[in-house]
Amino acid sequence: MNAPDRYERFVVPEGTKKVSYERDTKIINAASFTIEREDHTIGNILRMQLHKDPNVLFAGYKLPHPLQYKIIIRIHTTSQSSPMQAYNQSINDLDKELDTLKSGFEAELLKFSKDY
Amino acid sequence: MEGASYARMPRVKIRELKDDYMKFELRDTDASVANALRRVMISEVPTIAIDLVEIEVNSSVLNDEFIAHRLGLIPLTSERAMAMRFSRDCDACDGDGQCEYCSVEFHLRVKCMTDQTLDVTSKDLYSSDHTVVPVDFSGGDPSSVESADGRGIIIVKLRRGQELRLRAIARKGIGKDHAKWSPAATVTFMYEPEIHINEDLMESLSLEEKKEWIDSSPTRVFDIDPVTQQVSVVDAEAYSYDDEVIKKAEAMGKPGLVEITAKQDSFIFTVESTGAVKASQLLLNAIEIVKQKLDAVRLSEDTVEADDQFGELGAHMRGG
Ligand SMILES: [Zn+2]
Repeated sequence: MNAPDRYERFVVPEGTKKVSYERDTKIINAASFTIEREDHTIGNILRMQLHKDPNVLFAGYKLPHPLQYKIIIRIHTTSQSSPMQAYNQSINDLDKELDTLKSGFEAELLKFSKDY
Repeated sequence: MEGASYARMPRVKIRELKDDYMKFELRDTDASVANALRRVMISEVPTIAIDLVEIEVNSSVLNDEFIAHRLGLIPLTSERAMAMRFSRDCDACDGDGQCEYCSVEFHLRVKCMTDQTLDVTSKDLYSSDHTVVPVDFSGGDPSSVESADGRGIIIVKLRRGQELRLRAIARKGIGKDHAKWSPAATVTFMYEPEIHINEDLMESLSLEEKKEWIDSSPTRVFDIDPVTQQVSVVDAEAYSYDDEVIKKAEAMGKPGLVEITAKQDSFIFTVESTGAVKASQLLLNAIEIVKQKLDAVRLSEDTVEADDQFGELGAHMRGG
């Protein structure tokens, strides 16, 4: 009767920001990004992509609770970069990787349907 | 302020391709991307499924909600789904979820008039949209009409005098909402195994010992040449990371007989579709969805601006 609607897991409520950013008050070049209605799918790919950036000193994500539909990504960078820059860069790089994957797969599909 | 790009260049190779089945290799990427694709194929690629049922007459042995549930689980061809609207975002019908942009209507009317039991199947559903119909498992083969695959999915059976009459609305949805919207029957990936046999150690084994060691693997990974008596890997991917051959080698007093590692950047995917979308299209849709999700988590302008001001304030306070 009082069960929450199933769509609560993936629809961002009105008036809520998808991504909010919070600087660390004690460490410079460290910040947390709270992403609403996302899970391990996005959290893990962003974390692993951030690890490829040599200016990133720390990158981690957590899903605080299975019934709180949000993830928190924490980034600490060197002074050569900033958490925001690293975050944007990781999204751009993943996007580029997926473009490569898409065109690679389409070419392979075409080749495959010709061969067989 | 554009930093260097750390984007990878993944490679794909299709091994086997059918409408509802695909096996492919994914290389030069990591497990996080492989797993994101797997998760999205299962629970975030949209399909169309029956979501609302209005029963007019039901004198069958199954109750109304039982039939409504069975109707929901019937896979419908969903090539349209990516371009369709979710009912909750549809402004053409104000959340009613019954307009042409966000729904497809179905009708079913069957009555049994004979002494023979009548099967009501997915083929009795009449769709208002010819692109959204119950999946046909016969593969277009007319000879299979009487076979299990050609008859459609059985919804209920009727005896003489029993009748089922209903109207159903199908909507776009994702597997995260309800499993009936999942286009995937199974999506799995495995790390590609790399197997090295220590030849010197292997040659110190007798023929009997070699055979015993080969048989210790629950799957057929190794075999022996009947002429040269040489042990070789016949099917590395049959290895299920069960460690049996390693334990056996240790038990035989030959540790290091074989070394097996998982390649961290090579994956073998198996994709089975329910038929709602083709297996190949399922991967393409999944890539598109991950891209959309990434786009949705980009920082908004006002967040960046607020931080810029904060940064200036900080620099000011530090005496900059
Ligand atoms: Zn609508």
